[in-house]
Amino acid sequence: MESSSRCQACGERSLVTDEVTENLVCTSCAVVQDYSNFQAHIGGFSGPAGTYIHTGTSGSGSNYSYKESKIYKAGVLIDDLLFKLNFSVSSIAEVKKMIETITEGEYGQGDWFSIFVGACAYVVRRKNGNLLPMTDVAAIICCDTYELGRMVNRVVSFLDLKLPEFDIVYLYEITLRNSPSFSGIEVDKKEVMLKQGVFLVQCLIKWFVTTGRRPVQVVVSVLVFIGQLNQIDVKMEDLASELNVPAGTCRLRYKELLERLVEVAKALPWGKDVTVKNIVKFAPYVFQYMEMKSMGNGQKAIKNTGEGGFDMTYFVGDCLQERSDNMIESYRPCEEEDDFSHSTEQEQSHTFNFTDLDKFNISPECLNVVYSKFKEEVFDFRSTLECGKENRKRRKRHDDYLDCTDWWKGKSELSKKLSLKKMLEKDVGMDVMPPAFINGCLTYQRRRDRIEAAKTRIKKIMCPSHAGSGEGNDHCLSTCTIKEKNKKKRNVDVDWEDLIIETLLLHQVKEDEIEKGVQIKADVVETHGKFGNFVIKEVNEVNQDIEGVVDFGKWLDDKLCFFLILRLFPYSHISCAFDRQTGTCEGRTNKY
Amino acid sequence: MAQPGGSECGNQPVDLSKHPSGIVPTLQNIVSTVNLDCKLDLKAIALQARNAEYNPKRFAAVIMRIRDPKTTALIFASGKMVCTGAKSEQQSKLAARKYARIIQKLGFSAKFKDFKIQNIVASCDVKFPIRLEGLAYSHGAFSSYEPELFPGLIYRMKQPKIVLLIFVSGKIVLTGAKVREETYTAFENIYPVLTEFRKNPQCINLIRQLDTEELSTACFQALMRQL
Repeated sequence: MESSSRCQACGERSLVTDEVTENLVCTSCAVVQDYSNFQAHIGGFSGPAGTYIHTGTSGSGSNYSYKESKIYKAGVLIDDLLFKLNFSVSSIAEVKKMIETITEGEYGQGDWFSIFVGACAYVVRRKNGNLLPMTDVAAIICCDTYELGRMVNRVVSFLDLKLPEFDIVYLYEITLRNSPSFSGIEVDKKEVMLKQGVFLVQCLIKWFVTTGRRPVQVVVSVLVFIGQLNQIDVKMEDLASELNVPAGTCRLRYKELLERLVEVAKALPWGKDVTVKNIVKFAPYVFQYMEMKSMGNGQKAIKNTGEGGFDMTYFVGDCLQERSDNMIESYRPCEEEDDFSHSTEQEQSHTFNFTDLDKFNISPECLNVVYSKFKEEVFDFRSTLECGKENRKRRKRHDDYLDCTDWWKGKSELSKKLSLKKMLEKDVGMDVMPPAFINGCLTYQRRRDRIEAAKTRIKKIMCPSHAGSGEGNDHCLSTCTIKEKNKKKRNVDVDWEDLIIETLLLHQVKEDEIEKGVQIKADVVETHGKFGNFVIKEVNEVNQDIEGVVDFGKWLDDKLCFFLILRLFPYSHISCAFDRQTGTCEGRTNKY
Repeated sequence: MAQPGGSECGNQPVDLSKHPSGIVPTLQNIVSTVNLDCKLDLKAIALQARNAEYNPKRFAAVIMRIRDPKTTALIFASGKMVCTGAKSEQQSKLAARKYARIIQKLGFSAKFKDFKIQNIVASCDVKFPIRLEGLAYSHGAFSSYEPELFPGLIYRMKQPKIVLLIFVSGKIVLTGAKVREETYTAFENIYPVLTEFRKNPQCINLIRQLDTEELSTACFQALMRQL
């Protein structure tokens, strides 16, 4: 203060406060200043107690400061969310402790905090082995799964935790137990469904249906399938919305599940009659077969047999001896369902035949023959009787299904939860590759074919002596047929991949590279597609009007090769001008 | 497009001493940065150059594209530039030089300082499916496999410090390298690990070729085991 104000009389900056009067006095001329005694009491314990102002105060009348109210609100939010997530007291305490540790007791406010609470809740549940799907948590805290996932990752890395892997079998179990869709089922049946489901889920893991796929959707599809199998009417849409997942993906998984089972069913003697549509009917036998396979100890057989052959009798025994009664039992009603459920004398005689089979050591091959023979006979029988209408009525009935207790034994180890290694060692009669891998192989194959086709086309153009007048149309046809398939995907009139492959081949790009598809996404489609389509459209119109197309076709063929070789279509000069304008043309090599 | 500086391994046999696996990851994207060392008026650039877009409300940089090498650059007012989309280091550098030249032509005194490759992304296909669950279990310290969030397994290799995305189809993406050798080393490190978790596709193909109807279930089973 002394330095800032000057003395009224002498103008010196030598004012001090008199301790007694608290007036300002000049030390050089001793004049008492007129200035009022106001002093800003900024801080210091001697200063008077004023109104304490702080941003974020909870307002007058409230005793809570910002921090306290923040912590209070956070606590309410945590309690609310954990209540909605059905947490037990002990796990609530655990979540709270985790939140406190991570935020260092500060908690938080805002949208992020609820996501954070959700993430902590998810981590605690997963850590303790009773997992909660991320989609459920996300639905309750009203955020995106990815947002939640990111937060979970941060929590996990902050606490340096190692979460156990997502247990899809457990998820199936709790969903079946707790889902309202399955609430009205008696306990025994539920237990059976549980075992069947666990068995199927583990098979799906084995068959790569779950690998890299969202687990909840797989669980929904399994639940729907098991529901159908046990004559419980569960809608996929309901179950999907219950578990907060889109029904579309569940349907895809369901389709895959059916396809896998059909594949397994192919090993059965009547396998060729099993399709995706009737697999639910056949499922009991497929399950039985898979169960049997998983229980059979195949390793022994290999030891017993020499390198060259294998012991037929062992396997036949494997298939029939242990459970021949079931097998034959199951065989009979299957035929009834599949063909014609006439309880005629003829059929009765056949069933007796089958029970006699028990005594023989019959291979499924023989069974196959017997089955087809039987089928033929019943066909003849049916044609003589001509009573199709009644059949149809009967076939519609749902009580064709076997009662689950009849065929399901649940003795296989796969009905219980197994470790991945053990699960993979089990054999369920089929081993398949993941769908992504198969698709990848198919794509390679398709490209390979296209490369070959392009090569022949190029050859024909290069040696025109071999090419007749009609050849040009052939090439066009090849592209047209492929274009139809892709019409839905892209709104392009020609299959550009073919043309691009051709171009790349002409540019001496290695075939392996083309196969990988690295180059195919090149800018040709983006930049020159419009022009190409324009030409093709024009050509199509012309083709429709004029009858003498052959000359025109030839001309077009010439032009197209010309384009392909040039790669940069006629408007290259425009692009060059554009480049020149923006200065990009200086480095352009004069390739063309 | 057969670019001049394109993947050099494309037309040559694989050097097995360098790539014992016989597979060479293909470089897919190179991100590089360069300092043009002068303040830029982004609005002026956006108005003059026709291959540029600038929306300051959305992103505070000019986005410029050139066709050869097909790349995109982000040009900031500070004079720093990021060039993405090139398929090789040389291409990336060439593209960055071209952008610098464009800026120069627009009347700025752009230089070409501190060019640096920041990231290299490569991909490859091992051509066999991989049991991700098993890999995640046995290499838990490095990998994160959350099928709820992402279909692939994220493998964070410590040495070299590379992140690998491993998919069940056998396709691998490697990212985070500053030089391409790091990518190659990382792949050679991971390849033996992947083969541990492979399924033998030949076995299945063979069985598929066989006519299942001719075989009884028993034979089918035995063959499967023997293979």
